[in-house]
Amino acid sequence: MQDAYIVTSLRTPGCRRSKGAFKDTRPEDLLSHILNAAVERTPNLEKKDVSDIMIGCSFPEAEQGLNIGRIVSQIAGFPEAVPGATVNRFCSSGIEAISISAMRIMAGWSDIAIGGGVESMTYVPMGGNLPRPHPEYTKLNADLYTSMGITAENVAQRYKISREDQDEFAYNSQMKAAKAMKEKLYTEIVPTPAVKFIQNPDGTFKKETFLQDFDDGIRPTTTVEGLNKLNPVFAAGGSVTAGNSSQTTDGAAAAVLMSGDMVKKLGIKPIAKIKAYAVVGCRADEMGVGPRYAIPKALEMAGLSINDIGLFEINEAFASQALYCIRELGIDMEKVNIHGGAIALGHPLGCTGAKLCATLLANMQAKGVKYGVESMCIGGGMGAAAVFEMVE
Amino acid sequence: MVRKIKKAAVIGSGVMGGGIAALLASAGVRTVLLDIVPFDLKDEEKKDPAARNRIVKAGYDAMLKSNPSLLMQKKDADRISIGNLEDDFDTLKDCDWIVEVVVENLKIKQDLLKRIEPVRHENAVVSTNTSGIPLKAMSEGLSDGFRQHFLGTHFFNPVRYMKLLEIIPGQETLPEVLEFMADFGERILGKGIVWAKDTPNFVGNRIGIQGIVKAMQVMLEEGLTIPEVDALFGPPLGRPKTAMFKTSDLVGLDTMYHVAKNTYDMVPDDEQRESFVVPEFVKSMIDKKLLGKKAGAGFYKTDLTPEWKKIRKVINPETLEYEEYGKAEFPSLAAAKKAKSLPEKMQAIIYGEDKGAVFSWKVTASWLIYSANRIPEISDTIVEIDNAMKWGYNFEMGPFESWDAIGVKKSVEKMEKDGFDVPGKVKKMLANGNETFYKTENGRELFYDFESESYKEKQVSDKIVSLPALKAAGKTVKSCKSASLIDLGDGVLCCEFHTKMNAINKEIVDFMGESVEYVEKNAIGLVIGNQAGGMPGAFSAGGDLFYMGSLAKEGKFAEIDAFLKQAQEGMQRARYAHFPVVAAPFGLTLGGGCEVCLGTADKIVAHADLFMGLVEIGVGLLPAGGGCLNLWKKFISTLPEAVKGSDLAKFFTPAFMNIAMAKVSTSAADARANGFLGPNDRIIFNRDYLIGEAKKEVLKMADEGYAPPVKRKIKVLGEAAQGMINAEIFNMLSGRLITEYDAFLAKRIAYVLSGGDARTDGYVDEETILALEREAFIDFWKQEKTQARVEQMLTTGKPLRN
Repeated sequence: MQDAYIVTSLRTPGCRRSKGAFKDTRPEDLLSHILNAAVERTPNLEKKDVSDIMIGCSFPEAEQGLNIGRIVSQIAGFPEAVPGATVNRFCSSGIEAISISAMRIMAGWSDIAIGGGVESMTYVPMGGNLPRPHPEYTKLNADLYTSMGITAENVAQRYKISREDQDEFAYNSQMKAAKAMKEKLYTEIVPTPAVKFIQNPDGTFKKETFLQDFDDGIRPTTTVEGLNKLNPVFAAGGSVTAGNSSQTTDGAAAAVLMSGDMVKKLGIKPIAKIKAYAVVGCRADEMGVGPRYAIPKALEMAGLSINDIGLFEINEAFASQALYCIRELGIDMEKVNIHGGAIALGHPLGCTGAKLCATLLANMQAKGVKYGVESMCIGGGMGAAAVFEMVE
Repeated sequence: MVRKIKKAAVIGSGVMGGGIAALLASAGVRTVLLDIVPFDLKDEEKKDPAARNRIVKAGYDAMLKSNPSLLMQKKDADRISIGNLEDDFDTLKDCDWIVEVVVENLKIKQDLLKRIEPVRHENAVVSTNTSGIPLKAMSEGLSDGFRQHFLGTHFFNPVRYMKLLEIIPGQETLPEVLEFMADFGERILGKGIVWAKDTPNFVGNRIGIQGIVKAMQVMLEEGLTIPEVDALFGPPLGRPKTAMFKTSDLVGLDTMYHVAKNTYDMVPDDEQRESFVVPEFVKSMIDKKLLGKKAGAGFYKTDLTPEWKKIRKVINPETLEYEEYGKAEFPSLAAAKKAKSLPEKMQAIIYGEDKGAVFSWKVTASWLIYSANRIPEISDTIVEIDNAMKWGYNFEMGPFESWDAIGVKKSVEKMEKDGFDVPGKVKKMLANGNETFYKTENGRELFYDFESESYKEKQVSDKIVSLPALKAAGKTVKSCKSASLIDLGDGVLCCEFHTKMNAINKEIVDFMGESVEYVEKNAIGLVIGNQAGGMPGAFSAGGDLFYMGSLAKEGKFAEIDAFLKQAQEGMQRARYAHFPVVAAPFGLTLGGGCEVCLGTADKIVAHADLFMGLVEIGVGLLPAGGGCLNLWKKFISTLPEAVKGSDLAKFFTPAFMNIAMAKVSTSAADARANGFLGPNDRIIFNRDYLIGEAKKEVLKMADEGYAPPVKRKIKVLGEAAQGMINAEIFNMLSGRLITEYDAFLAKRIAYVLSGGDARTDGYVDEETILALEREAFIDFWKQEKTQARVEQMLTTGKPLRN
């Protein structure tokens, strides 16, 4: 099989659900903008040459429904002949979409493909608009549908992740993010038009756009004491709070992938190639442990060990589960989420896999790291991990 | 010109000002709330509007946070705008009523009124909520036009909940202005009007504070403790549970002291002036800032042990130390507790011989005499004084009603024997053979008028229908121990419950069935309502648990099923009968009481203070008198038929939460927001108007050509609900937010409310849900944990979570 190269990987800022800069911006517009940016920043790439567009989305319904992968390829101005699809594996949807595009190239079925992800948690709520767990199955097995907060509590309780450690982890995430923002280290961000509704003097409204170029959930003023004061939100006497959980967020991300031949033909210097992508199932009521199983599996496929990896982007769905996985795998904390994670930057579900890819590759380039891993836990009880290798 | 209050202004944003603004806003009046600019602004703040509004904003925020809430619902706050007396004074110019509630200082009030005079529009009414400053002094030097529109409007704290509104005419107030304000206060704000005179502290506080301070004095003389006084002057004497000292803690010792001192200073000729001298120990408490609830400590205080256990303590007047205390015991008190009626309880204490009885007698005798002596000084009739004490102090009986209850003749003999100076007019009343202050003749309620030395008829608004008066006039059509059917006139009958807390028992269920048959043959419509007293009172606090519990204990589940079936069918019959039914709930309308309203009424006419809910889960049960069916119907009945495929889960979830979380509304407006009341149901601010307004609605529907609703299958969420609720309950259980038994109950409730094992978005017969209600109800009764919940509720009155 041939290699699949990532030549471009970008993201919009992540903005707070219902309160942030994208609260009035439709998910199609976020996605359309990032797809166009990805094409524009890839030298010599013409839209017509893209063979497929795979888009991850966790709740592909309503504004994100009707196959947003296809809809947005058209909104973004790709020719009719360029197809598109929606990919859903909840929180790993974005990297799932990238890996499908990668596999298509690796199989030789395609030379150029796009993978990405989108989620407006403002427009489509987590859980979707019409959640309908199965009536009979839930009588005895309701744990399949365990809410994310409860899974985080279960991880904290079963594996003894203390409230103090969770809060400290959350604090560090905020501090790393605040520093990175101040030092303008998020080079993977593309300033993105955001909509706001402005009231005219006669009471009617008009839509205006402004350019949003930063993650608006970062809280540089966070203190450990402040985090300690928050009440647990999911369980009586629990330890998981709004402060040590990921933020719910709106955002989109995309990556352009090519075969080795195409890279040469277009004269592009690729960033990295995908070495491996693995998904593993686990108990639904502690889905947060997923990365602990997915990372070793992906590393094994790539023939690497933990110590070979220079940087990790491990999604901070909850401090409890991220900490658990990091500790279990013996990962050096200095290598993890160096510019902060989802606790500070947000977790736009279906976008996250593609978002972490953009962040990881930007950081690998900046730090000159050879191997990097992104990973996340997945609702319903799974973990996913991908291994990237920098191109010299 | 037709007077209207389109916009009002409240000046002063303290507890009373905020309360008045909240009431106005809840009643639909746009209201401006103003207060002073802080004196201590720093230079950089002097132009900052937020800093300048700091005081009024703090008052407004305190009002929003008040618990129990002063607003009927939080969103009413958007009718209130805030401002300060320097920048926003001009907003007064289009206000139709301006009420000042500023600090009790004559000069400040005079200056404020002078500023208002040029700004107010010529018909604007201006009033003061002063509790003690003479109106005459306040309005001195103001124009005739101003003084013709100036009066006293004295509300009681908390404004939303206390019914009393004293209206004090100024010397020149136009009669039409007084009438208008009395009507506005009664009809729009729902208050009970007491006509007072411009005398110190008017009616309620003059009589009320005399009673409290006198009790404090006699307590020290007779050597009683504070808890002993509160035990006597609580429910056994027809007083609220907070009695004397707990009430003082609620009011604030400083406020109580201020009113007492103010009275003392202003009534040099009062024969009982010394009754207003607050004991030294209370003054010391005020100096030490032990002001009551707001200060965290007053006569009482609650300490927490390291184990978070509450320890209630009371102050020792001699040492000013807080001490633990036990239950007060007197033979007279024990006798009162055994007695059934309030007059019997009162007599047991007043004519007892122990220390507590002697104390109670001395305080009461002094209070009765003092009240009689205040006529005509503070009001023209005994009715005003009695109403003031009932509405402003939550007494079950005012002084003259109490006097009747203990026997006027007997008590006067004892007073004379004990050396009390009995007023000549009372002696004369007795001498003329008139032995009661009140009596009923041919359905007319009469009171004794000292001036004419004869009985006169009580004057009430023609909007007020009195069920006791109708019953006394022989308008009872049929009756049993638990309920009566009363003729309201014009072909409308009223089904009145009269059990304890108006709990629904077998007899009521039987009676309602018979009433429906009777109305079908003999009348044009039915009101279901009653006029039980108390604050907030109980339309019906639910089903009779004791009856059901005894059936369950004996394993008579078939009988429970038969009883439920009878209740359900009775309500269905009323619902689909060929006459309009209007329910008139107020106060506690829980469980079965709520089911009666939801199940039978074409329209609900509710009092604004409505505490409505289906709370059965608290005792391990579910609504099984049609409550599940009819709440669901209420939720989905407002959907236009043209709306297809709407997500029933969005309707199901809040309806389910109402039952599974035993939600009780905090007002009628809140009941509407939570789906217990629909868009066609009406909210009435004055509880006394309920029966009359309900009757009007019956007549209107009959006049419009009433046809009963057509019974059709109803759309249900079906089995989808089970999956949703199973998953959600699993999360709540995992989060330790509910018990295993809560989860068991909630899942079954979801099953019933969604129509059981029905196709999602399918249609079922009403009887399907009724049958599911009954099955679940009986299954619940068979559970030990339900029986334990019921047992605890019956023995302690408090719910058990197991």
